[in-house]
Amino acid sequence: MKRLNRFIAISLVLACCQSAFACLWIETHNYYLFHVYNSEEFSTRVNNITKDNWKAYLGSTEEYYYFNADEVRKYAQSKGDALMASYVTNLEKYLDCASAVSSDTWNYPTKEELAQRRQVLTAVRQYALSKLSSRLRSQHALLFMRCNMLLGNHAENVSFWEARSSNFIETVYKDMMKNIYAGALLKTGNSVKAGQLFAEMGDWNSLMTQYYEKRSYQAIRAEYQRDANSAVLPFLLQDFINNAQEAYDGNEPGKQFIRDISKQEAHQMIQLAGQVVKDGRSRVPALWMSAKAWLEYMFDSRSQALADINEAVTLDGNEWMKNCARVLKLYISASEKPINAQFDQYLAGELQWLNQMKQEDIFFGNALDRTIHQVLADKYAMNQRPKTSQALLGFLNETDAQYENGLDTMEVSRLEQFLDYLKRPDVSPLDKLLASRITVDQTKMNDLVGTKYLRICRWAEAAKWLQQVPVSFYNKASYAVYAANRSFRVEPWMKRQWLKSDMEYSSEEQHMTTNPKLDFANEMMTLESRLPKLKGNDYQQACYDLAARYAQVSFSGDCWFIMRNGKSIYDKVRNNETDLNKEAVRLLCKAVNTSDKKLKERVLFALSYEYINPDTWYKSEWDSNLAEYRIIPQPDSWHYKALAALADFERDNNAVSPYVSRCDNFATFRKQYK
Amino acid sequence: MCKQLVWLLLLPLWVGCTHQKHMDDENSVYYWRTEWRLDSTERAFLTQYHINKVYCRYFDVVLNDDNQPMPNATIAFTEKVPQDLELVPTVFITENCMHQRHEGLARKLVERIVQMDETNDIPKVQEIQIDCDYTGRSRQTYYDFLSEVRQEAEKHHLRLSTTIRLHQLSMSAPPVDYGVLMLYNTGDPQKFQERNPILDLRDVQPYLRYLSDYPLPLAAAYPVFLWQRDIYGVRVEHVVEADEILQVKAAVEKKRSALRHTILLYHLDHDNINRYNHETFESVYRH
Repeated sequence: MKRLNRFIAISLVLACCQSAFACLWIETHNYYLFHVYNSEEFSTRVNNITKDNWKAYLGSTEEYYYFNADEVRKYAQSKGDALMASYVTNLEKYLDCASAVSSDTWNYPTKEELAQRRQVLTAVRQYALSKLSSRLRSQHALLFMRCNMLLGNHAENVSFWEARSSNFIETVYKDMMKNIYAGALLKTGNSVKAGQLFAEMGDWNSLMTQYYEKRSYQAIRAEYQRDANSAVLPFLLQDFINNAQEAYDGNEPGKQFIRDISKQEAHQMIQLAGQVVKDGRSRVPALWMSAKAWLEYMFDSRSQALADINEAVTLDGNEWMKNCARVLKLYISASEKPINAQFDQYLAGELQWLNQMKQEDIFFGNALDRTIHQVLADKYAMNQRPKTSQALLGFLNETDAQYENGLDTMEVSRLEQFLDYLKRPDVSPLDKLLASRITVDQTKMNDLVGTKYLRICRWAEAAKWLQQVPVSFYNKASYAVYAANRSFRVEPWMKRQWLKSDMEYSSEEQHMTTNPKLDFANEMMTLESRLPKLKGNDYQQACYDLAARYAQVSFSGDCWFIMRNGKSIYDKVRNNETDLNKEAVRLLCKAVNTSDKKLKERVLFALSYEYINPDTWYKSEWDSNLAEYRIIPQPDSWHYKALAALADFERDNNAVSPYVSRCDNFATFRKQYK
Repeated sequence: MCKQLVWLLLLPLWVGCTHQKHMDDENSVYYWRTEWRLDSTERAFLTQYHINKVYCRYFDVVLNDDNQPMPNATIAFTEKVPQDLELVPTVFITENCMHQRHEGLARKLVERIVQMDETNDIPKVQEIQIDCDYTGRSRQTYYDFLSEVRQEAEKHHLRLSTTIRLHQLSMSAPPVDYGVLMLYNTGDPQKFQERNPILDLRDVQPYLRYLSDYPLPLAAAYPVFLWQRDIYGVRVEHVVEADEILQVKAAVEKKRSALRHTILLYHLDHDNINRYNHETFESVYRH
């Protein structure tokens, strides 16, 4: 047993666990449900259009087109388009300067390069200015404004837009000029107008930069009073509601925090939203009524929320606001309405709608995720429809962690019923929809059912399923490297089967020749069938051998992959799983009566192995006076008694084997054991 | 014969002490912003605590979409660095950059630092520092990378140091001139209600045993920063009490007295300076 330094290592392991906690990601599904504008940002939109324009000019049909100045210039020259060729040459000069300004390239500019960059920008600016009456005046005007932006000539950009380029025809270049103009307004102190323009253009990143410090109920009320149909209001309102949702989602008692949105502020917003709808001055009452309903759901009356969201879906608003109201109606209805045939029918329709809409914007997929995870799955499970509950998660995504965990941990008979349900769903339109969208990988299911039988130690039934799984399945499994390089025959208390990091992190495919789970099932059947025929030391040796295998495939053993797909320090015995370490202890207790002293020493050593003991022989307490941890022995613990038995044996026999004397945990124990 | 015997007896002692040599009594501070601009409070702080050396984050190195390491968040020198101040260009490299070797990265990194010094008229640069939260997985690649950086740095007569996190003390030492022991970010951010995730002596204690024998000269860096984060949309603030910092300082110096020589604070900032009183700074910077 490699237990050197274990005792000291324990505290390190504990400390390492802490850093591992930082990496532990617990999916909360707390997606925002209030989303009233397109997620596509202004910059993405204009980039896509300009790419399409270049493609059209070049006659390109490439799906993933990237602007290449040289390619465009050569094409323009071949067509005799000198103006385009010179434009592209100057555009390239500007783009080179702009990318260098970001300064996150390996070639950091020299002083000379910086001075030269300014010279280049000034020259390109002059060139662009000279072409404002040309056929490509919009492109050149944009180039002129871009150079000004980098040179810091913001006031000039304001006057240029207002006097000239605002009168140009509508193109994507004009949109980009308008965006630069809005930025120039902000830089020169006209923030109200800049905000309106950013909002109209859907430049949410710029709006967030501008309004970051000014997001509150007070700000929204002031903006509404200034202009009931201000373009900034949907942005501010969405930001407010989402922050309120953050406070709601994290609403746990005893937290040491300052709330971004307090309940009081949320109530003020409920009042304001109601007042706005009553006033009738807003052209988008659906926006305000949805906001009111969602805040009520989170912080006030859920029945009022249901009434208000039902009204919101009938009110005016743009397409996004109406869709948002529909999403909220689904969530609130799912939470508040009873499950019956009518609700099943409604839900089937809404699930189909969301499933279709999620192709258009990630918001709808996220809303579906939250509604199923936070409301529907539990609701159907509690209404005696566990198969529908499980299928809802699968409908969401067949790689959904909760869906996979459900399949992985449910009782084996329930899994067989669920697989049957997918083939022959219940009559409900909802069940039919769900079953029609979930596919079953039969090999994966054969492995899963077989593994479930392994977990409850029914080896023969396990073997029946596992023999249908080809070894290639295990060679591709995420745990293949462990399965290929570890053996369940090794006694875990004698040797840890660490893998070298090169091997552990290698992406090479493994080449096992036999099914490791089937091998284990067959071995256990053979060993256990022999047991009743054995007596004396042979029987005790067989018990010891079996115990080693049980411990090795337990969650704390090195061959955990026989029973589960992954390993975590938080692992423990799960539902529908035999406590394999307990089984190992039971067998070791039978083996301990052996008259073979060598075997007895091994058995006692195994019994003192900390990973098969539910509690350790000591507790460590922080001593603030000494500024270190103190060890407090726990003589009543099982582990303590096991170590004491080993110590007594070693004392009485006066012949400690090297594997025992090397164990620092035992040595530490001995120091305090009289 | 007798003399030789004495030398032989003293040799282990001498070898054991080498790693604690070479660190001068020095007050330093990290500068961890994206723009170099000092206000009057920060300038006064440097003067008051005799700080002549500032470990200044120049840029980060992160993997881009093509899995290639690239500079990120490069500092902008919007005002001149004082002539009497020595900057130690510091580069933070994300751990995943070290999951595989990147040909030429060391040369590019050193050349970029040297060019940044030249373009921005940075005076008195004598060394560079690399900061990376390397793990068992990335350690060997990182050490090989440091060896290459050291070779490149020597061409420009620059020394090399690296940060050492507590969990890295259990590994072999990196190939650098010295390390800066980071005595912050020691706890579990998830368990912020139980222990301060920035620094808690109870989290430091398990690593103290490695200190006396760690085979590399070490400086010590202590936290004076405020960590603000949003947890479920609510603002959570962490800051270390002065007593805790001083207790940790006493504990680490008890195990390794040389840690009292070169002392850094993380990091120079107006608010951080105002967060603690003069006595605290005096005590932390006590050699």
